[in-house]
Amino acid sequence: MRGLRLDFSSASPIWSQIDEGMRRLVASQVLPAGTAVPSIRDLAGDLQVNPATVAKAYQRLADDGILIVRRGEGTYVADAAPAIRRAERIRLVRDAASRYASLAASVGVSADDAASELAAAWRRLGNAKGDRR
Amino acid sequence: MISAFAASSPLSSSSRIAAPLLESDAITVRYGRSIACEAVSFSVAPGEVYALLGRNGAGKSSLVRCLLGQQNPSAGRARLFGGDSWTTRVRALERVGVVPEEPDAPPEMTALRLADFCRRLYPRWDGASVTRRLDRFEVPRDVPFGRLSKGQKCQVLLAMALAPSPDLLVLDDPTLGLDVVAREFFWEEFLGDLADRGTTALVTTHDLAAIEGIATRVGVLKMGRLIVDEDVETLKGRFRRIRYANRMTETRTEFGNELDAFDAVRVRVRGWGIDAVVSNWDESVFERFRLMDGVEGAEATALSIEEIFVALAGEADGNGGRT
Repeated sequence: MRGLRLDFSSASPIWSQIDEGMRRLVASQVLPAGTAVPSIRDLAGDLQVNPATVAKAYQRLADDGILIVRRGEGTYVADAAPAIRRAERIRLVRDAASRYASLAASVGVSADDAASELAAAWRRLGNAKGDRR
Repeated sequence: MISAFAASSPLSSSSRIAAPLLESDAITVRYGRSIACEAVSFSVAPGEVYALLGRNGAGKSSLVRCLLGQQNPSAGRARLFGGDSWTTRVRALERVGVVPEEPDAPPEMTALRLADFCRRLYPRWDGASVTRRLDRFEVPRDVPFGRLSKGQKCQVLLAMALAPSPDLLVLDDPTLGLDVVAREFFWEEFLGDLADRGTTALVTTHDLAAIEGIATRVGVLKMGRLIVDEDVETLKGRFRRIRYANRMTETRTEFGNELDAFDAVRVRVRGWGIDAVVSNWDESVFERFRLMDGVEGAEATALSIEEIFVALAGEADGNGGRT
């Protein structure tokens, strides 16, 4: 499936990579509401992973109301796929923050300087949004 | 809750409560004075795909022969579906599909004749699945087995192994010697069967890249001993590669034990510093480690099964880090 890539050298388990990848594809409208997603069998063959792993990811996505299973028909992106959950949001930001902190530390930038760079980046983001208005 | 997805066979460790389909109970195999494997214990629970890994000569083949009741262990017990493999093999093997290391069938028989021969041995035989698979693999029907390519032979044997809808599949390095396209065909077919039936399987293989996403549990045999036997997620969770530069400082004048808390299985000294694979990863311990005097630029990366295997099997004294 396009847009879904796995990293076997990642600390994140495969089912969780599929789960997150699908959430991203739905959130970014690459998979709009109502689209059929590949069957477990097809996606497993495509990604060369155990179908049970795909099933586990799909089960979570269905539990969270992102995918809808229509018996005998297939699995679809829900019409009103909920926004990313709070816990999920915090985790995503925390992961990215770890990467940023580690990069800053490795090039010898202090925590204070790194924090002010982040604040500056945040301000630039705000300006960019303002420009669009 | 009830799963909406048919193929959701158990991946969590809770599945291990179910009675194992295959069990190696302290199996030792000796040939004269040499020991092929020693006190090897592990089991394969329903729904699992157990990857048994090891370098050539690590003892995989002897172990698999014992498990299939083709050989009686020198000590210990092999069990299939709860019964002793050696004494119950005739009945038990009706429920097992095997793809052997060496594609082995009468060379003059065509694939269809072979299927005809095999169907009499199995109470449940899905003949339609055989022809469907042979067509998909484009195996010529009128060419005798002995004249098929290595890849085609493996496909024929996989078709035969899957036809009786086996409760357990044993694949003994099935893709050895196949080209990359034939290998991919083979694993795809295996994945299809996993999707359709949630098959339980024991797989020995050197094709670590392929088994990476398929295995749910991994065993590593090294010189006859099982040094790893755990769920893939647990295994990957406790291994990391740690790289850092070590600098002498006023307070630190030597290095050597700073990795002890992580149980390093392999340590390489490089020009820029230390490159280590550790088996007892802990995030909070690492946070302290990177701030240690003389440790600079420490970074940790997760590893694939292949990388973990190379680190374990490649070291002269490497063990699972748990002894």
